[in-house]
Amino acid sequence: MTAPDDGLCRHCLLPVGSRGMQRMIDGENRTFCCYGCCIAHQVKSGRTEEWEAAWLLIRLGVGGFLSMNIMLFSLLLYTGAFTGVDARLLPSIHVLLWIFATPAVLILGGPFLRETWHHVLQGRLTSSALIVLGVGAAYLYSAFAVIEGGTHVYFDTASMVLMLFTVGRYLEAAGRARAARDLHPLLAAESEWATVVEGEIETRRPVREVNAATLVRVRPGERIPVDGVIVEGQSHTDEAVMTGESRQVAKGVGSAVIAGSINLDGPLLIRSSGTGNATRWAQICRSVRDALIRRSPTQRIADKVVGLSVPLVLALGGMTVLYWAQHLPFDRALLIGLAVLVVACPCAVGLAAPMATSLAIGRLARCGCVVRDPAALEILARTRLLAFDKTGTLTCGRARVVGIECDGAPPDEVLARAAGLERHSEHGVAQAIATAAAARRLTPVATGDIRVVPGRGIRGSANGQMAAAGSSAFMRELGWPPSPALAARAQAMEMSGHSMVYVGWGERVHGVLSLDDTPLPEARATVEALRRSGLKVMLLTGDLAQVAQRVGGAVGIEDIRAGLSPEAKCAALDRCRQDHDVVAMVGDGLNDGPVLAGADIGIAVGSATDLARETASLVLPPGGLWMLPWIVGVARAVRQIILTNLMWAFGYNLVALTMAACGLLQPILAAAVMAGSSLLVVMNSLRLERLPGPAAPLLPGRASIAEVEAASAPRRGVPAMAGQAGG
Amino acid sequence: MTYYFMFFVAGFAGSFHCIGMCGGFACALGRDARGGGSTVLRHLLYNSGRLTTYCFLGGLAGAVGQVLCTSQGTVVPLLSAPLDLGQRILAIVAGGLMIVMAMQFFGRLQSLHRIAVGFGGSTLAASLRSLLTAPGAAAPLAFGVFNGFLPCPLVYAFVAQAASTAGPLSGTLTMAAFGLGTFPAMLMMGAIGRLLAPSWRQRGVWLAGTCILLLGLITLGRGILPLAAHMAHNWPGGPSV
Repeated sequence: MTAPDDGLCRHCLLPVGSRGMQRMIDGENRTFCCYGCCIAHQVKSGRTEEWEAAWLLIRLGVGGFLSMNIMLFSLLLYTGAFTGVDARLLPSIHVLLWIFATPAVLILGGPFLRETWHHVLQGRLTSSALIVLGVGAAYLYSAFAVIEGGTHVYFDTASMVLMLFTVGRYLEAAGRARAARDLHPLLAAESEWATVVEGEIETRRPVREVNAATLVRVRPGERIPVDGVIVEGQSHTDEAVMTGESRQVAKGVGSAVIAGSINLDGPLLIRSSGTGNATRWAQICRSVRDALIRRSPTQRIADKVVGLSVPLVLALGGMTVLYWAQHLPFDRALLIGLAVLVVACPCAVGLAAPMATSLAIGRLARCGCVVRDPAALEILARTRLLAFDKTGTLTCGRARVVGIECDGAPPDEVLARAAGLERHSEHGVAQAIATAAAARRLTPVATGDIRVVPGRGIRGSANGQMAAAGSSAFMRELGWPPSPALAARAQAMEMSGHSMVYVGWGERVHGVLSLDDTPLPEARATVEALRRSGLKVMLLTGDLAQVAQRVGGAVGIEDIRAGLSPEAKCAALDRCRQDHDVVAMVGDGLNDGPVLAGADIGIAVGSATDLARETASLVLPPGGLWMLPWIVGVARAVRQIILTNLMWAFGYNLVALTMAACGLLQPILAAAVMAGSSLLVVMNSLRLERLPGPAAPLLPGRASIAEVEAASAPRRGVPAMAGQAGG
Repeated sequence: MTYYFMFFVAGFAGSFHCIGMCGGFACALGRDARGGGSTVLRHLLYNSGRLTTYCFLGGLAGAVGQVLCTSQGTVVPLLSAPLDLGQRILAIVAGGLMIVMAMQFFGRLQSLHRIAVGFGGSTLAASLRSLLTAPGAAAPLAFGVFNGFLPCPLVYAFVAQAASTAGPLSGTLTMAAFGLGTFPAMLMMGAIGRLLAPSWRQRGVWLAGTCILLLGLITLGRGILPLAAHMAHNWPGGPSV
């Protein structure tokens, strides 16, 4: 049940970067990003019977024992407990300190030394080199002082700096693990196990080995491992991974369930509808993993700065020692140089971005939103203009019957006859008509002797009469011209972008159905919320201007560019980029792949395509348009936290470095504040955990399950129909 | 010296409280298969690890106290001579803290108790269990060191006391006396290898609470009484004017 080795730290799930190390734990080779994670992982999940799990802790404890003793004696030395009569004890105390310090430095400094050695072999200097150099100098100087009978030894500095750095790294790693807590179940999807039922036998199998039409048992509280249909049992599930909304959905025999949702309260038997690793859930996990391994631009800059700063700090430390050696005794100058090395450790800078980003990626992924590139969040936070595609993004993407114009027959009869004819067609229009009829609980009029005229319409006979449905040209061919009043109304509708279906029987046209793609119920609220958060919103569509105007009016977008080819959309985005700097494009990912790729950040809503082939860098779940304002909020919070982290890490380093170079900072104190600064960065990033979840808009379509079910018939129907039918 | 003896006694009385949590560890540390000598060594190592941590905390607290006091004025040798203002304020704070801790022993201020003990204590304790069963002499020592850092109101109370002494040496000695005081009970736990009956433990906790309460009151008195005398002294129309 283990995740493959994939370039992520096993403890905190950050990319294993330059500080990476491997270790055998519980009989398998695991990769960690740093020494701290290594300790924290063994403390947290090492098996107790394993000697190795305890080994690091024992080292830490013994190191602590030695360095605390050294510190105690040194404290007494500093406060002058061994002056006057006791002064003759001083050399023996120094020797005692040396005896304590040697194993302490070896035990605590070993990992840092090994790290430095590995990196030097690779031709790099990292922050551990600073520690090794500083501590080594303090230790060697003190050892010489003991041999030569000098008055000052700094064994306490050497051991305490190591101790503080070790504890600091451990605490930092523990904090990072808290951030990774949400990511662990996400990454586990591929390595998850399913209980497969074959006859009477139940076996546990990795999800990737589950094929279509396999029976899978899911106990309450478990995550459903595969997409499928319930064949036995009743339960509630939480489908937040698909819809973003954490709420209970009642499921019974025959209901479809999706992989990744949580089975809340009843045992279920599911027949899988596809292979285990083809589910959207598995795809989300794969792309989360990919996103975590990639580095954002901010992070790349920070890493570069860190890489450059180490040699600089070394030079600065050397110069500090040289400068102070002219004014102070050499040991004091050395101590000041040590403080410079210790305080300039750029650990916090390296942590500034990845932790905040991975927290946000995990947070979004739990709501079904996939961030495919960590840079996407930072870009989205800077975005000033959001361009929407129309079809399938702001609208349902499917034709619906929005009005019925009648001439000498009630609208219900027109619809029932049309439905009776279109039952035999597989055209998209036919489906819309059948749905509309079903919503009004109409029984389609039985029609036989069907003939489909491609591109024109369909005809047949019902109740002994010929009936037909299709275009106006089809009606003219049949010799059934509509009445002038009806034709005028239909033409007006057609001008505004509706598709018209003429329905006739008994030698004349009795009605016209108008079909249109309707705006999503949540679109208006979403656009409003985006505008409130300071974003400009525009509509780019390849459709007719009238249609675009109507949809734009319905959802509240004034800036509309219609009749654009995909290339023209890209060009329009480029023009906008001149005014607004950063532009985002929201589309459905099906028709507008190139446009999504051409924008600074492409956002796909409800994409049906394979996530891996997706061109958008941010993918929302189907019907997830309403989450967009929340995602923008999260992105902005991430950017703000990264910036404060960087400001803190850099500003703090500069101030502390200046103080240390001026000889105002004790090395031990410097090590303590340095460890503290990494912790502060971790804590600041953890603030992201407290961000509220997406607030579902209170719209008729998605109020609550009970309401929707109670009111589904009238509300899911065609609200515009009743009004227009009479007219 | 009498003062440190008092801490020793308080530590001894307070160790009945330790039996609750740390006693469990001592029991779990168990016996060494190689015989009585090794078992005693194991427990001595564990306890000296604990003692080192206590002394370190005491020394650190004392040093912090000293820094606070020297910034206020000169440091006066403690316990006999009159105390200066900074040290008196420290004594009042420490005394107050000790009284608050004592209250917890009597079952008051439970929410505070949660803050004091719940601060990462349970995870630390859980993660350290792997050390209990590890072989070798280093494991009990390391375990003792970590054990000393486990959040415990008793230790907090004495660290506050150590801070109020305003000197690393006196701070160390305070915690050393307290730590040594807890030795007998903890060693006994290791030897008996089982927990005391709950009724006895309850009595021990009450005894510990009373001791800490008394110590807190004495510390508080040390802070307030000379302050009162001092204020009376400088009061316009007071004896010195």
